[in-house]
Amino acid sequence: MKKIIAVIRREFVERVRTKAFVISTVLLPVFMVAMVLLPALMLSGGDRASRVAVVDASTTGLGQSVSHALESEKLGSGPNAKARYTVEVFAATSDDLTKVRDGLIAKTGFSSDKQKDGWNGVLVLTDDTLASGKLAYYGGNVGSLESMSKLQRAVSNALAGVRLGKSGVDADLVKRAMTPADMNTTKVSDGKLTGQSGQESFMIAYFMGFILYIAILIYGQQTMTSVIEEKTSRIMEVLTSSLTPFQMLLGKVLGVGLAGLAQMAIWGGTVFVLSSQRAPLAAIFGMSADAAQSFPIPSMAPGLLLVFLLYFALGFMLYGALYAAIGAMCNTIQETQQYAIFVTVFIIVGFFAVFALIKDPTGPLGVTMSYIPFFAPFTMPVRWSLTSVPPLELVVSLALMVVALLACVWLAARIYRTGILMYGKKPSWRELWRWIRA
Amino acid sequence: MIAASVRIESVTKRFSGHTAVNHLSMEIAAGGIFGLLGPNGAGKSTTIRLIMGILEPDEGKIVLFDSPHNSRKLSQRIGYLPEERGLYKKMKVLDHLIFLGETKGIGRADARRRAQAWLERLGVSDWALKKVEDLSKGMQQKVQFAGALLHEPELVILDEPFSGLDPVNAQVMKDIVVAIAAEGRTVLFSTHVMEQAERMCDHIAIIARGEMVVNGTVAQVKEDFGGRHVALGFTHDKARAANVLADRALIAHVDDYGASAELQMAEGADPEQLLAALVREGVGLRRFEVVEPSLHAIFIAKVGADAATAHAGVAA
Repeated sequence: MKKIIAVIRREFVERVRTKAFVISTVLLPVFMVAMVLLPALMLSGGDRASRVAVVDASTTGLGQSVSHALESEKLGSGPNAKARYTVEVFAATSDDLTKVRDGLIAKTGFSSDKQKDGWNGVLVLTDDTLASGKLAYYGGNVGSLESMSKLQRAVSNALAGVRLGKSGVDADLVKRAMTPADMNTTKVSDGKLTGQSGQESFMIAYFMGFILYIAILIYGQQTMTSVIEEKTSRIMEVLTSSLTPFQMLLGKVLGVGLAGLAQMAIWGGTVFVLSSQRAPLAAIFGMSADAAQSFPIPSMAPGLLLVFLLYFALGFMLYGALYAAIGAMCNTIQETQQYAIFVTVFIIVGFFAVFALIKDPTGPLGVTMSYIPFFAPFTMPVRWSLTSVPPLELVVSLALMVVALLACVWLAARIYRTGILMYGKKPSWRELWRWIRA
Repeated sequence: MIAASVRIESVTKRFSGHTAVNHLSMEIAAGGIFGLLGPNGAGKSTTIRLIMGILEPDEGKIVLFDSPHNSRKLSQRIGYLPEERGLYKKMKVLDHLIFLGETKGIGRADARRRAQAWLERLGVSDWALKKVEDLSKGMQQKVQFAGALLHEPELVILDEPFSGLDPVNAQVMKDIVVAIAAEGRTVLFSTHVMEQAERMCDHIAIIARGEMVVNGTVAQVKEDFGGRHVALGFTHDKARAANVLADRALIAHVDDYGASAELQMAEGADPEQLLAALVREGVGLRRFEVVEPSLHAIFIAKVGADAATAHAGVAA
């Protein structure tokens, strides 16, 4: 036991000390902060007040109605929200329309510090606008789909109001009739409200699947490369003279797994801090708290966290042992690919099953996969987060995982025992079978 | 300590196609230095790996310390320096030694203390916090040497311990090996450098093609080899000695080193006859001494023919 701990410590400490580990540990949280802040920054960027010049070449005074409608648009939803548009109307006739328009366009599209009285855009209304709805807008922000759709909606509303007014409909009635629908979504599971929004539970499921996928793939392969390293550096011969294959295998898988878990903990901690502190964080970057909320960071319930960690540990050890056995069979990283592909396929199938499960977490596919130990680490936590899994199903699934884990470690230790001192030739499947039986 | 440290009983190990060790039996008594000699490919490393339990014998058995356990169970009592040196390249030297100590069952604090003492003794304590890969090959070898001896094992097994070392470092290692034996512990080392074995070993075994050729104490081996041997040192006119040295009635075998030579007298011939003949020819002599046969001479005589046939076998 003391020896296993020595191996675990060595694997853990040496791994955590590498530059690659430190860099990847730091980079991901930076990336996560960027993920939270960037969309918010971009949204707030499109949410600046803009100056719009309205050229009114209509004979019906359409410009006044439109400018009135635009001026009533607000940035945000609070009572003190600022007006979205600053509007000025320029009258024109069909004769000097081109001249007025071009004069205004000449002052459009500059950054506000270059031309203080410049325009963000020029809106041109003609008689045709009311009849057919056609109008033109020239502006520096036409690439922003969000700004354009907001502008278009405002103008559409104004036009509809004017048309209805012309038909004798009361202006207040028009306003009430135009109030848009506002829908909130909340997930229901087995007849109970979960309190999660649809988006949140999707995020949790996807996030867990992704973390498992990345961790097992990266750290599983690390156990494999580290066995290869021990073989090529010939340290194996010293180790086998004092450690049993089982001690070496278990120590390696646990040590690498702990390093992975430590990294996950740092990342998880970052997510937690980010989600609980996102309002002050957003303030640092000069954004409204509203904008920061637009990227939801889901929180995990303790029960889900426990299930996730349990399956993470079991799944990692299962795949880690398999990868270590592959390392023991081969001499170079290139050689391992031929065998590793089988293990990798299991991981990829498990990961992509998550997408199917998100659509239908209670279906036969999910239940079946939860009983297959190679897929259970991916499917079970996702199902747990999306629906309520019967406890018996969970117990059976966990028991099957433990059995499979023991079988895999036994198998891997057998291969390890013979393989770690085999240099040169790669074993055939038949030889491999002999190693296992021996 | 009368009991044998290692007892090898008619052990055979085959690898796909060829037999590396063939019904080999020997006993390594506790205490002293035991030299395992043999040409390249004789089965020295295989024998050592069999003793270490890294390889399993196909036939026969190996008993350590008269105990029923295998070497892994007894690893606290055995120190091992493999022929293929290997360390974790990215680890710091001190951490590495501590780890090696721990795998032998020593506590962490104790392992650290011992590792520091050994680095001091080998003159590499300045490198304790450097990574292994930053060390020269010779220094890495010293570190591994320390790793094998850290737990003060009563049986030390060294596979080619002096290969790749400069004379100064080889001297340091030799002193340590001698000191271990002086403490009553057992050292088994393999080598193909005869002079070294001759000076250091109490007991030797020469194996070739996996079979025992010579086995016994150095004195005994020399006595058994028998014959009378003369060492010559020339000053001038060595060419004139050619006729005398070619005389098969006088001399059975010549090992010519240029400025010196080692001769085995023919059956019934006298060293005095040889001296008289050389003086008659006018050969300038710096040295004329009747000596014991060197281990080197024994090795060449015993293994040379064997090795030659082995080569012929490969060629065919």
